[in-house]
Amino acid sequence: MGFPLLSLIVFTPAAGAAFLIFLRSDNAMRWTALAVTVIDLALCILMLARFDTATHAMQFTETRPWVPALGITYALGIDGISALFVFLTGLLGWICVLASWVAIDRKVKEFMISLLVMQALMLGVFCALDLFLFYVFWEATLIPMYLIIGVWGGEGRVYAAFKFFLYTLAGSLLFLIGVIVLYFHGGETFDILALTAQDLPFQVQAWLFFAFLIAFAVKVPMVPVHTWLPDAHVQAPTAGSIILAGVLLKMGAYGFLRFSLPMLPEASVHYSTLMLVLSALAIVYGGLLALAQDDLKKLVAYSSISHMGFVTLGIFALNFRGLEGGILQMFNHGVTTGALFLFVGLIYERTHTRSMADYGGLMKAAPVYTTFLALFTLSSMALPGTNSFVGELLVLSGGFAANLAVGAAAVLGALLGAAYLLGMYRKVALGPASVGARFKIRDVNAREMTAILPLAVFVLWVGLYPKPFLNIIDASVKHLLAQVHAKGGGQ
Amino acid sequence: MTAADLLQSILASLPEIVVVTGACILLILGQFVRKGQEHFLVWASVAIVLIAAVGTLMLASEVRPAYTGMFIADRFAAFFKVVFYLATVLTFLLSPKYADVEGIGSSEYYVLLLFALSGMMIMASATDLLSIYVGLELMVLCTYVLTGYLRQQRRSNEAALKYVILGAVSTGIFLYGVSLVYGLTGTTQLDGMAAAAAGDPLDPGLLLAVVFIVAGLVFKVGAVPFHMWVPDVYEGAPTTVTAFMSVGPKAAAFAVILRVFLNPLVAATDVWIVVAVVAVVTMALGSFVALVQDNFKRLLAYSSIAHAGFAIFGVVAGGADGIASVMLYLLIYTFMNLGIFGIVIMMRNGNISGEVIEDYSGFAKPHPGLALLMLLYLFSLAGIPPTAGFFAKFYVLVALVERGFVILAVIAVLLSAVAAYFYIRIVMVIYMREPGRAFDPALTPLVRAALAFTAAGTIGIGLFPAWFLRLAQQSVFGG
Repeated sequence: MGFPLLSLIVFTPAAGAAFLIFLRSDNAMRWTALAVTVIDLALCILMLARFDTATHAMQFTETRPWVPALGITYALGIDGISALFVFLTGLLGWICVLASWVAIDRKVKEFMISLLVMQALMLGVFCALDLFLFYVFWEATLIPMYLIIGVWGGEGRVYAAFKFFLYTLAGSLLFLIGVIVLYFHGGETFDILALTAQDLPFQVQAWLFFAFLIAFAVKVPMVPVHTWLPDAHVQAPTAGSIILAGVLLKMGAYGFLRFSLPMLPEASVHYSTLMLVLSALAIVYGGLLALAQDDLKKLVAYSSISHMGFVTLGIFALNFRGLEGGILQMFNHGVTTGALFLFVGLIYERTHTRSMADYGGLMKAAPVYTTFLALFTLSSMALPGTNSFVGELLVLSGGFAANLAVGAAAVLGALLGAAYLLGMYRKVALGPASVGARFKIRDVNAREMTAILPLAVFVLWVGLYPKPFLNIIDASVKHLLAQVHAKGGGQ
Repeated sequence: MTAADLLQSILASLPEIVVVTGACILLILGQFVRKGQEHFLVWASVAIVLIAAVGTLMLASEVRPAYTGMFIADRFAAFFKVVFYLATVLTFLLSPKYADVEGIGSSEYYVLLLFALSGMMIMASATDLLSIYVGLELMVLCTYVLTGYLRQQRRSNEAALKYVILGAVSTGIFLYGVSLVYGLTGTTQLDGMAAAAAGDPLDPGLLLAVVFIVAGLVFKVGAVPFHMWVPDVYEGAPTTVTAFMSVGPKAAAFAVILRVFLNPLVAATDVWIVVAVVAVVTMALGSFVALVQDNFKRLLAYSSIAHAGFAIFGVVAGGADGIASVMLYLLIYTFMNLGIFGIVIMMRNGNISGEVIEDYSGFAKPHPGLALLMLLYLFSLAGIPPTAGFFAKFYVLVALVERGFVILAVIAVLLSAVAAYFYIRIVMVIYMREPGRAFDPALTPLVRAALAFTAAGTIGIGLFPAWFLRLAQQSVFGG
């Protein structure tokens, strides 16, 4: 078993949260939270450095009995797919702390504790190799997120928090029943790898597929169960939005990759067209909605729906390029949209308005800010040279191979993306400094720069040289595809 | 009955004897306790319960039938008795300050609780419909009196009267069912019944008898359609008594329900269909009506109806896992429900009633620690991991799915999503509002101890359920 690196990664933030209880000064809490998240990121980097990209097998595994009477174990382990998201979570963790440095000025202790607990739980979701453990982590994220939105959010925070909580709870409860059914079909075990090796009758697979679909689709979110997302995003504090967009949404797509595809291969192949159509719908509909927004945060939120549509499209294209692109796009979306929410948060701290009509000519007042905003905007619309281009290209080529019409719809969505993002940039950054002039806007400071720079690095790194990232997921994706097509047929 | 049998019987029922004798002694001693020395009553009562607990644990090693088949001391009974002891001791710890504030501090209060405890213990051990009846009446008579203990308040009087009348009717129905069973089988012993009527389990007369017995018992757990008394009684009774009633007598009724329903005779009558309908309707009503409550105690009353519904799902599942799931559920429910009631009791101080949910607005600001405890209890009641409440629900669902009742499991989880709303609404009130006034919680060391203990149980069982699960599974009778 060796050194429990994953447990350390998962529980470092939790231990940090426990430590925060004993601190009194707000600044000490901020610095401690930052230190804890940076240590966690260092551990994640250590994990990646020791990660063996040649194999699809689970690595760094740990197993301990937890509830032996029901076959529940405490089992952690990662393959290439989860490794990428563990890293993404670690990367965004300390950026969230930086983003809430001054934005959160009341109940700092509770906020930082929620943030750290949240990070521990999300890391747990990506590391869990036991379905019960996975579900505990998955569901427990509701508690800190509910508080983050509801206590530190904007005007309509209470409504948004309720909506978020009840939507996701209702979705995941059916997943719970699915898990229990799976448990009895799979010989009374919650071991994910053992359950993956099972052959289930198609009828059972179909039922489970839809039970899982509800839970994951709400999280992703896919149209038509996306309506909690704009509320939650708009009301959440900046760090909450970054977590939501950066990691929480990925948990849904990760669920498809970890459970639906390998455990229910026949159903996944059988219903892949349905999923492709839903994805295309999300891409186009999300894009159209984003086009109609005046609120900056809402625009980014709806663009998230559109972009996550690309992710599910890639996944359910069920071919190599689609899957690789989908997974890479999840990482890219975490970086880019996380950055965009950070930018919206930064400007909101200065002006206290998110309406695009209030802005204009920001280029003159804050040149550094607008330059980086341009980078992330271009990244979000998948300009060649940025990270999303690689991901989206892979997704599109996979999508066209799977279904011509869906691929075409996705291209339309990409065009819409260019339209609303460029429109946004024009209204905010360019033009005469009309209404914007009444704000005394200072440019980004060193702390903000520290949060922005790493994200910018990843935008360009993935955009120009994506090989290391694709290498991480390569073996696992190939294995996953082999599993799906060996049992589910197709291709 | 030979002298040796008698001795064995006395040994088997030693904990009950300890509690009853202790209560009688306390009744006399209580007359000599002067004002300001009420703490003696608490410690004496706790000591009596602890002695009984030691006895129960020492007797739990083997199955001891007693009193010619009327009574049994087995692990199943021992498990339930431990739940009762927990509920009673925690109630004792929460009581003194509250009794002080309400002006109801007298020795009879503790004596009545002890007698109620002995009634519950007899119920858990009873294996004859008549001894069940004796235990049941002993318990409910004490709770009738305790409900009306706030003599100066009309609300309390009204609640007690309602409770007495409805309770008497339900007991009458139960007894009528018992008399029918006796007429059909010639016995009231649970084991004897099954043997006597092995011929035709679908005899309409027997079905009628079983339905009457079910109705009488379901009244005690507050399941639909016999739930009407619950909100009024819970609201009117002193909060400490409400806390006690929501866990102790309810668990006792479930002990009886498990013994009666899972009797081979009753199990053969398709009565589970009735029980399944009762479970669904109970949970639905409890969850939906609780959504619109503004009074904390009424809300908890409906929440307890909903939880009773969920536990009945475990009864429907039946089998070893079904029984164990109900037992574990009740144990966990004891911790989390007494925890949240402990908060409500603590808030009753000075001129704050602590009964209106709005009273808690912004509670998290001046008292972050207590608010965190409330958060824990409420999320546990809502069934969100990693709290114990989640594991309780999870195990019931496992038992349901194991028996093939997937549809029932789906209904159960969907209704618990509805129920989650009113728990997190309270979390919203305490965390997301600004405090409107100063809080003055009556945080005595005893209340602290009770809260710490319930919190430890609520999170501890959630994180490490293995030991408790095994305990429940090993305590299932006949298996």
